[in-house]
Order: sequence, then C-alpha cells, then structure tokens
Amino acid sequence: MDPLAGKYLRPEKWPGTACPGCGLRLLHREVLTAIDALGLGPSDLVWGTAIGCTGRQTYATWRGDTFAGTHGRVYALATGLRLALPREKRILLTVGDGDAFTIGLPHLLAAARRNVDLTVVVGDNLGYQSTGGQYGVTTPAGSRTDSSPYGTWEPGWSDGGLDVLGIVREAGASFLARHTVLQRDAVVESVKAALGTRGFSLVQVVYGCHVHYGAQALGDGTVGAIQGWIRARTVPLEPGPAPEVAPAGFRTGVFHDARGARPEFTERLRDHVAAVRARAGRTS
Amino acid sequence: MRRVFDTGNAAITEAAIVAGCRVFAGYPITPATEIAENMARRLPEVGGYYVQAEDECAALHLCNGASLGGLKAMTATSGPGFILFADPFGWAVSAEIPVVIVDAQRVGPVSGITGAPGQGELYLSRYLAHGGNYETIVLAPSSVQEAFRLTVRAFALAERFRTPVTLLADQMVTDGWEALAIPETSDERAAMGLEVVPRRAHPGPDFYPASDAIDVPPVVLGRGAGGACSDWTPTERGHDTEEVEAQHKHAHRLIHKIRRHRHLIDEHEAWGLEDDPEVILVSYGTPSRVVKSAVARARAEGLRVGGLRLVSLWPFPDHLFARRARYLSVELNWDGQLVREIQRAMSPGSSAHFFGRCGELPRVAELCEASRALLRGERLARRGWELEAY
Repeated sequence: MDPLAGKYLRPEKWPGTACPGCGLRLLHREVLTAIDALGLGPSDLVWGTAIGCTGRQTYATWRGDTFAGTHGRVYALATGLRLALPREKRILLTVGDGDAFTIGLPHLLAAARRNVDLTVVVGDNLGYQSTGGQYGVTTPAGSRTDSSPYGTWEPGWSDGGLDVLGIVREAGASFLARHTVLQRDAVVESVKAALGTRGFSLVQVVYGCHVHYGAQALGDGTVGAIQGWIRARTVPLEPGPAPEVAPAGFRTGVFHDARGARPEFTERLRDHVAAVRARAGRTS
Repeated sequence: MRRVFDTGNAAITEAAIVAGCRVFAGYPITPATEIAENMARRLPEVGGYYVQAEDECAALHLCNGASLGGLKAMTATSGPGFILFADPFGWAVSAEIPVVIVDAQRVGPVSGITGAPGQGELYLSRYLAHGGNYETIVLAPSSVQEAFRLTVRAFALAERFRTPVTLLADQMVTDGWEALAIPETSDERAAMGLEVVPRRAHPGPDFYPASDAIDVPPVVLGRGAGGACSDWTPTERGHDTEEVEAQHKHAHRLIHKIRRHRHLIDEHEAWGLEDDPEVILVSYGTPSRVVKSAVARARAEGLRVGGLRLVSLWPFPDHLFARRARYLSVELNWDGQLVREIQRAMSPGSSAHFFGRCGELPRVAELCEASRALLRGERLARRGWELEAY
C-alpha cells in the first residue's frame, strides 16, 4: 500500500473507486501530502465529502471522522457541524465541480459569506463523469459530451471572461486557488494554506476525466492524452478578468488571499452569544 | 412553574429549550416565523445558536450537521418550506441523526393561504424522503400546552430512535393563544410526564448495527471515534456499499426499529368508545377540539357516537380501527387524506366517510348533522360549494 495512504487511510478503502489512471487518485494523494506536511493526525481533521467521482473516491477513506452529504448540500451540513466542533478541529470537504459550482453554489456562497472555517477541495473532472460524461459548468465551451453531442452551446463558469472563483471571492472567501492536478507542489502548498486558514477556503484542482471527457471531447481516452491536453492549456493567473483562451484555459495559481481579513463564522456567533449573555448577567 | 398566556409558537420554543435544543436554523415563513424569532431571542440566553439559513433545505442540513456534532437541533416551517426539507430529511433518516422538525400546516396547495389552518401534509410527513425503505415518527398537537409537551417528547423520541421526528401542527395551534404552564425544575418536568433524553455518542466501530434495537447512540463526530456517516447504504462501520444484503439490513433497521417499538410512540385520545358507538369521528390537531364538542353534544342527544383523536400519526395506528363502525374523518383539507388511511386500516364491515373543510374549522352543528346522517345509513353528499361533506 502507498505509504501515505497506509498512514492516513482505512486500508479497505484504498485505492478507492476511481478508474485506473484517474487524476483523482493523484489529487487524493496530494491532499494527504498537505495533511502530512502540516503534521495533522486523524483526530485533528473531520473529512466530509459529497456525491460523484470525488465523493465516492474519498468518502470514509480517512482514518478519523468522516461524513458525506447529499449532492450540493454538504456546505450547509458542514456549517452546522462547524457550530458543534471545537475550533481546533479542521473540516475538509472534497467535492466535485458539479457539487460546488452548480447544484451547491448557493450553499457554497453562503458558507463563503459567513466565512465558515471550512476547506473545500474541488476535484474538477470537467463535467458529470460518474453518470457517464455529461457537460457541466466547468466543461470547456464547445466540448462534445454525451449530453452535448453537437458541442456545448451555453457558457460555463470559465468561458467568455467568467470565472466562478471571482464570485466566491466577492462572496467573502478567505483563500482561493486553482491548479491542475499535474502541478503537484502547487496543489500541496495551496491545500496547506487552505487548511491553515481560519475561515472559508477553496482549492479547485482540474484533473479532467480521461475515460469520458477524453474519449468524447478529445477523441482520445488515454491518460497521456488528457494530461498533455491539460498541460497545453494551463496558463498562470493574471490579475483582472479571465482572458478568452480558445478553446479553454486553466488559469492557475493563488486566486485570492485574504486570510485573517474577516472574522470567522463561529467566532462571530460565539462573540454574539457571549455579548447577549453578558447583557443578561449570565456567564458562559 | 411559570404560567403564561402565549402562542403555540412560543410553547414550541420554550419546550425545545427545556429538551436541550441548542441549535435552531430556519427560514422565515408564515405561520412558523415566530418560532424562529423566539429562538433567535432565547437561544443566545442559554448559550445556544440561532442561524438564519439561505433556504429551508440548508436550514435542516445545518440542523443535521449540528446534531452530527453532538448538539440537539430543531427547525420549523410551513408547507412551502416543508417540501424543501425532503433532501435533508432523507439524509437524517438514512444516516440516523436525531433532529426535530416542526411543520405548521397552512392552506394549500403550494403557497395557498398563509394565515389560515390546513391539514394537507399528512402523507408528505410520512413520505417526505424519496426511495421508501423507512418508517417515521409524526406527532400532532391540538393545543398550546400539548404543543409544549409533544415538542419535548419529539426530542426524546429523536434521541431514542436516532431519527428525525416531525411535529405536524397547524396554523391555529402555532398562532393560537392559550394558557401555558412551563415547568422550571426537573420535579415539575417529571410531574408533567416530560422526559429529557441526553445526547450520547456512539463509541464505534459498528455505528450501523444490523438490528432493530433502539437506544443506540447516534454517530457524533469530533470525539475521536472514527465515525463514518452518510446517506449511502452503510456497512455496519458506516462505509458506503453497493451490496444488496447490506441494503436489506439497513432498510429493515430503519423500518423495524420504529415499528417494533411503536408502543413507545403510540398516543391517542378516545371519547365514548366504551359503549360501542356506531359512528366514530376521527381527527387530529385543531379540528379535534370541535370533534370533541360534537361527540359530547351528540351523546347528550342519546346518539351512538364516539370520537378518536390521533396524537401520534405515524406509524399509523391501525389497531385503533379494529372495531366495526362507521368512521367519519374530519380534516382541514378538501381531498381527504386521513380518511384513506382509515379505509386501509378499518376492520371488515366498517365504512369510512369524509368531512372536509379548509382554512376554517367545521361547526359542531355540522358534525352532529353529519353524524345523524351516518346513523340513518345515509351517504354524505357534497352539495355544490356549500356543504362539503361527502
């Protein structure tokens, strides 16, 4: 067994459900590398997931406490959990692009607005892959998928100058980054920074699905093909609006770093409760 | 004992505090908004947390998450929000997380009329989660004081059965003002028959035992037990599995932990059943108060009429319909929901009849007239838009 997986994961759950060669398993290891570098143990972190490829690969792998929420709602579930946990316990959520940026976006933005101390790692496989390969909001414009047999026609969150991370930033997040799974050291550094953030943090990691997206949109379902394609389309983040890089560009780097700028959700709430109790002459 | 004159909403709030609720997440909606307002005022006073959620789906998920972390939690809504609970309700059913839900029924369908009572969610409260394969607990108060008692009871049952428990109220109970006695000591609570079950945490590793036992502590995260908890079919350890045998065990546990121990849940009130009445009026919630008066008046006239008030609605009390009778279901809806369950449960030779009304209560005289018609062997007929008994 992989030594990092052996140290942190439940042996019966590794190597997990991802297809052979899937970037998701690389991402899983990168997250463990960050946890290891921070010296965290199973009792220091509660690991939540959602549904889809990322949820299936990562749920109940962590030796410590672990949970899974319904599709898109794990941000609300984790916000409630945050209320009950001591501040030193970290909450990590590994989710997919559909979960975070479509069905769950209102809840994700509410968590960012409240600056809930959560770290969200979005495994971006460029669409709905566990259901067989349909386009989503991170699928590059024009892509042919099983639900866009003539190519996608509506804009996604990365097309025409849009960037979903800009929305999450404006919602109040403390730390945001985007990398591809092939940028191993950068992913590890950003996940470390995110886990060290006292507030809402999110790291989007593009890995692309070679089985569905590669075969349908690129015409080549091999791991080598999708990795080469991702590398060729990776550009560093520049300030300002997203440039239109045809057909798709993955703008990578630290997108937003405002760690410590806004009070965290539970700190604010506990201060509020303490103030109410002080006014009423009670001690907490 | 603190004696006040207040609403059902206030009673539910104070009862939740007594039961140990320390988290409320909600979204404003008539006629349950007052519960959220009261919780926002009261919870900080006792060191608890009020969070106003972005929608009802998030509200119940927030409560689920707080409960998963070991805090007792409640949310409250009305029909349009109740339907949005479907997703987190199912999650809590399958993950076996204790949580309390209040639904103050108003007039539907959908947004309908906000400030009037309805009873359109009998079946929704039973089948709120998709996928079947579970049983659920639903309690229905008919007064402010009873709303208090049943809220405390809902929390106790949620802990013992580790499941969501729904308090299915109606707008007249939640908005109505009545005398309310609030116990302030454990002796006073005990004298009122109120049980407070403290939260316990499962030590692991078999968080989802293949058994229909109750009083199994729920998964609580953050205590180092290595808890695993999700809405997927679990192995006993809580890992996700696609094994059909594991699904059988899980579904049987969710169904039979409740059905096998239903004697701990069942609650009803009966009027005049001792002399074998020919006609039995059946109801729950606020209409049952009119039914009680109608039964008393009919019996004073010498009519062979009795009454049943259901307090626990689910699991449905089939055993109450074993006697042969003409049952008249009195409900705050026009489509007839409770009457269908009576039809299913009643003994051979019985008949089931329906008296509907919505947004307002039926009158005692109307129920007496309907009872007399049934005693004469007549079928109740809907006449235009005027008398909607049929």
